[in-house]
Amino acid sequence: MSIAAINEQLLRAIGVGIALLDAADLTFKFQNDTFQDWFSPDSSQPTLEDLLPQLDVEVMKSQIAETGNYTIEFSFKKKRRTMIFAADFSSAMENDHPLFVMVCQNISRIREMESMIDSYSKMVERNTRELKREKEQVEKLLLNMMPRSVYEEYKTFGVVTPTLYDPVTVLMLDFVGFTEMAVSTDPSVTVSELNDIYSAFDRIGEQFGCERIKTIGDAYITVAGMPEPTPDHAMAIANTAIRFVRYLKRRNEGHPNTWLCRIGIASGSVVGSVVGIQKYVYDIFGPAVNLASRLQDCSESMEITMSEPVYKAIQNEFLVEPDGSRVLRGFGEQQVYKLRDNRIEFRGQAFPGLGGDTESI
Amino acid sequence: MVQRTLFEKYGGFSSVSRVVLSFYDTLLDSDDVGPFFDDVDMGRLVDHQTKFIASLLGGPSSYTDEQLKQIHAGLNIRDTHFDEMKAVLCQTLLDHGFTEGDVEVVAAALEIRRKLIVE
Repeated sequence: MSIAAINEQLLRAIGVGIALLDAADLTFKFQNDTFQDWFSPDSSQPTLEDLLPQLDVEVMKSQIAETGNYTIEFSFKKKRRTMIFAADFSSAMENDHPLFVMVCQNISRIREMESMIDSYSKMVERNTRELKREKEQVEKLLLNMMPRSVYEEYKTFGVVTPTLYDPVTVLMLDFVGFTEMAVSTDPSVTVSELNDIYSAFDRIGEQFGCERIKTIGDAYITVAGMPEPTPDHAMAIANTAIRFVRYLKRRNEGHPNTWLCRIGIASGSVVGSVVGIQKYVYDIFGPAVNLASRLQDCSESMEITMSEPVYKAIQNEFLVEPDGSRVLRGFGEQQVYKLRDNRIEFRGQAFPGLGGDTESI
Repeated sequence: MVQRTLFEKYGGFSSVSRVVLSFYDTLLDSDDVGPFFDDVDMGRLVDHQTKFIASLLGGPSSYTDEQLKQIHAGLNIRDTHFDEMKAVLCQTLLDHGFTEGDVEVVAAALEIRRKLIVE
C-alpha cells in the first residue's frame, strides 16, 4: 500500500468529519466516512451551500482570504436529532487548484451535557433555597424554645451543657380560676385569648431583657439575668411584673372575659439546660424557681409577691410593702413582700421611650 | 435515619447523567416514540429528561403532577407509547447497573404517573 493510500484510509476512518471543497464553486471533492455518516449528502446536494444553507459562504470566503481559516458552530438536524458541529475551514492547493478543507467535530454531546448540567444546577439551586428557608424556620422555632446563646451551643456541639446562672430573678405567673374558665367557656376562645396575653407578656418581658422560659397551660415563667448576667435582674422583673398586671387590668376593661393573675418573684440561682432527647425542651431548675412558685401561691388576685432579696434590691425604686412572714414548703419561715404599682412614679421617668402598644401600660 | 434515595445509591448526578443521555439517545432513535420529539428543542428535551429521571430516582426534582400533565397534554400519547418509553427506561437502568429490584421500584413510580401522560 502506498503512503498516499494509507493516508487516505486514515483520513476516511478518523472520528472527525473531513471534506475537500472546490474553492471556486464549493462542490465536494472528497468526503471522509465520518462526514458522509453525519451529513449523508445526496446527489441533489453537490455543493456545501446545498448541504448547509445556513452557512454564509461570502463571510467564509472573505475570512479565509483574510486570515487563512474560518471557524463556525452550526446545528444540523439528522432525522429528529439536532446535532451541533464545530467546523474549521482552511485553504489548500492541489495541482494549482485552490481548495477549502472543511474539518468538522461533533460537539452535540458537549452541548447536551451543558444543557443537562444547566438543568441540574437549577434544580439544586432551587433545593438549596428551599433548604435554607426550612433551616431558617427550624432556627426560628428553636429560638422560641431556648435562648440564642444556648441554641448556638446546641448547634455547634449537638448538646447543651447545664449551666448555673447566679444570681437571677424568676417571675412565675398563673391565672385565677383558669381551670374553670377553660371548661366553662369555648376552649378555643380561651386558648386564643391566652395566646394574645402571652404574646403581650413576651413583648413586655423583651423590653426589660427578660427571657421567657416556658408556659405550661396557664403558668408563665420568665427570668432576668440569664443567659447574659445583668446586675439589675430584680429591677427588670419588677418592672415586667407591674406591666403584666397593668396590661391585664387594661385588657379586662375592654373584654368580656376577665383574666386575673397571681405573680411570685424570687431571686437566686437556677440551672438552665435542655432536657429530653427526642422531644427536648429548654428548662430551668433551682431554688429561685421553686420559691417563685411558692410566692405566687401567696398572691391574691392581681397581686405580686416577692422574696426578701428581691425586696432589698428594688425597695428604693418601687412601691413595696412588707406582708409578714409565711412558712413556705421547702423554705421554712420567710419574710414576704408585696410589690404595688405606683403608676405616676414610672410614667415617662424610669423607662422613657418604650415603643409599641405596651408603651402606656 | 433518612433513607438513601436511588439517586444517591447509584452515585448521584455524575452517574445519573449517563442514564439520562443514554435514555435520550434511545428514545430519539426509537421510531415509536421518537417522532414525539421531532420538533422539540434539544435543550428543552434534555432539561425535561434530566428533571424527569432525577425525580423518578428521588433526586432533586421540580415536576409536580400538574406540570407533567401540562407538558404532555395534547401530544396524543397512547398506552403503547408509554409502555415503550417505560421499557426503554427500564432497559437503560439495567444497562447502567441498576438491580432488578430497583428497576421495579422505578417502574412502579413511573406507572403511577401513567394517567398524567397518556391521554
